[in-house]
Amino acid sequence: MHQTGVADPPRPPRRPPGPGARRWLQAGLALLLSVAGAVTPAATPERPAPSSGPAVEAEAPSLPAGTVGAAPAEAEPALSGAGQRIYERTRARLLQVRTLLKTQDSQSSVGSGFLVDEAGLLVTNYHVISQFALQPGRHRLVYATVDGVQGALELLAFDVVHDLALLRTADPASLAGRGAVVLRPANEPLPRGARIFALGNPLDVGFAVAEGSYNGPVERSFLETLFFGGSLSAGMSGGPALDEQGRLIGVNVAARRDGEQVSFLVPAAPVRTLLERGRHAAPITAPSWPEVTRQLLAHEAELSERFIALPWRSAGHPRYAIPVPQEQFMRCWGRGSPQAVRGLQFERSDCAMDSRIFVGGSLLTGFLTVRHEAYDGSKLGTLRFAERYSSSFRNESMGIDDRHRTAARCVERSIDRDGLPLKAVVCLRAYKKLEGLHDLSVLVATLDGTQAGVQGRFDARGVSFASAQRLTAHYLDGFAWIAPNNVSR
Amino acid sequence: MDRPEQRLALIECFERDGRAGRTIDVTAWPVALGRALHNHVVLDDAYVAPSHARIEPDAQGRLVLTVLDTGNGVSVDGQHHAAGASCKLPDAGATLQLGQTRLRLRLPGEPLAPEKPLPPAAAASLLLALPLYALVAAEHALALDPGADATAWLPALVGLPVAVAGWCALWALMSKVFQHRFDFGGHLRITLPWLLAIEACDALLPQLAAALAWPGLWQLIAPLQVVLGALWLRAHLAHVLPLHRRTITVAVAAVTLAGSAISLSFIQRSTDSWSRAPYMSTLPLPATHLAGTVAPGVLVEAMSALVEPLARRVQKAREEEEEDAASSDE
Repeated sequence: MHQTGVADPPRPPRRPPGPGARRWLQAGLALLLSVAGAVTPAATPERPAPSSGPAVEAEAPSLPAGTVGAAPAEAEPALSGAGQRIYERTRARLLQVRTLLKTQDSQSSVGSGFLVDEAGLLVTNYHVISQFALQPGRHRLVYATVDGVQGALELLAFDVVHDLALLRTADPASLAGRGAVVLRPANEPLPRGARIFALGNPLDVGFAVAEGSYNGPVERSFLETLFFGGSLSAGMSGGPALDEQGRLIGVNVAARRDGEQVSFLVPAAPVRTLLERGRHAAPITAPSWPEVTRQLLAHEAELSERFIALPWRSAGHPRYAIPVPQEQFMRCWGRGSPQAVRGLQFERSDCAMDSRIFVGGSLLTGFLTVRHEAYDGSKLGTLRFAERYSSSFRNESMGIDDRHRTAARCVERSIDRDGLPLKAVVCLRAYKKLEGLHDLSVLVATLDGTQAGVQGRFDARGVSFASAQRLTAHYLDGFAWIAPNNVSR
Repeated sequence: MDRPEQRLALIECFERDGRAGRTIDVTAWPVALGRALHNHVVLDDAYVAPSHARIEPDAQGRLVLTVLDTGNGVSVDGQHHAAGASCKLPDAGATLQLGQTRLRLRLPGEPLAPEKPLPPAAAASLLLALPLYALVAAEHALALDPGADATAWLPALVGLPVAVAGWCALWALMSKVFQHRFDFGGHLRITLPWLLAIEACDALLPQLAAALAWPGLWQLIAPLQVVLGALWLRAHLAHVLPLHRRTITVAVAAVTLAGSAISLSFIQRSTDSWSRAPYMSTLPLPATHLAGTVAPGVLVEAMSALVEPLARRVQKAREEEEEDAASSDE
């Protein structure tokens, strides 16, 4: 869909991303940055230097005042007393986690991690070690502590949905006696505004403490995520965020680049679950695609179930009921054409989920989007409206064959929703390595109006075929008449 | 010739562009052909022997061509004859090829084709321009918003005639090169109907497909337009080189097929189907929505048809990856 007629040139312009789309594009980028930034080559991996690379230099000035680099051998920087105390208490349990190519020592990704028990178990983000999880034959994992101890790591388990991974040192003796970061008990909720401290190794520059505030769970998020009012930089992913007593509040995971000090943490609960599940697991040595698939299927089943259970909201259209999702775990942005425009008038709504699941490379999945555009062509006349209405229906991308997914295949029908004629197209793409998962796109256009109509699009990324069918039926059910058939605008 | 009753035959020598150049009246047999000066018909062609061929009547009075001392031989109506051979010539005359020179022997027995009518006057052929102009203007009008500035009409109102004139002028230049005449009108008469057909196809068929809900027809429109375009090109080329119609047909067909194959292979690679458009995007007007509707459940059920081809594609991708892995291990 697109908006035509907002300018004189007759050719339909490409749709600019709406405010919502743009924000989420940036949010997605933020997550990727935490990997991509980590890829920044450092001149000397063992002793990260501030002048290691141009990208690091470019990022360095933007480090917030609250983040202070604290390389072990350097002089004591000015920290708040609490920050200093936290760092001193935690530094022995803080690690940098590096993914290296098996055949050479160049790091292909770096992040942070922390010890969670005396036996050398540590936690980081799944996205820090995703390359190893998906291609263990080509990569290896190593850690480096604040005081320069290095060693090999084994991957025991991961939670792709919550972006967590549990690792163990290959030689438990090497990190013995360093203690562990304890989890803040679930029955002691932290008040909003409380001071918390995120630790990690930003941009491979050196271990650092970023002080910020705890702002509770992110609103309207399907997966519980904590809002950290502080700065997280690439490379800090997987590091711990601690309360003033040094107990774990969450795990650093992502930041928004379109705002200031808007960062996110994975809460402690899934860390606890992963720890219980993976503590005694055998190290992973084969590509983890089947396990990633299993976790994504469980996620999509719950997501589809909860989504279908929610009734559609009204779009406020005088003629049609249009499916608009509840905003429990989606966020909607609306936009309209300027009133003075001579051509096609439209109102548009874009709803998307915050939570997106990083699998590897550029692949994000496990989310839903719902969109519609209501067109009014009363200033155009029937034929001109039909021309623009059709062009709008054409201007949709269903996806071509790429590294992760097949090209879209579609079925289309003219359908009848209690007397309302609709053109509906359903397209599916299959994931090449996540067997049984699909991307679903449903495109719908009302066919009864000579000078008005509605086009909607529903997308579900990473769903099973059965869920795709149920979601399609649910979405189509959201369309109906409001005014009786014979009312015309 | 002052006394046509003395003319037994006429020999026409064709120029390389296919037009008859020199003509030679034959008033007596035999007629000798060759490069040497003693021949009746002296041919300035390095591939012709000094005494190349002779034509004379046999005992029954039928004309016979004898091939003399030549390595290249003679072709009579496409049939090759080597040195020493002789062949009877048809009463209706024949086309002879000696070296690189093409001759036509015209005889009194030759049946004459009826007179060809002159092409319609330019004004008459321009009548076709009216529906074309109307179609293009209507499409442009639809794309403009009501009350659009007058200059917004210029692309259609001025652009179309200028583009058509430019196109025909280019082809007329080709005619000038090969046929020595700037045949603008001839090419205009070719362009107008083909362009009208392609435009009409573009304007009407998508609506028809949408009205009948035939995605198959909708997907065929683009290939159909390619075929029409190829035929259009062939018509121009055949007008420029009328003697090479068969070659032109083969060449245009070959280019079209090769181009289509390359383009289809790219489309196939990126979309896993033979069409770039994954669905029929033309929506029918409410009044022309002739096809019936089905219940939403039917569409949901129809999704099952997607499972198998997608699974096949996934399987193919997996096999390709395994092959890549195997070859990188080697």
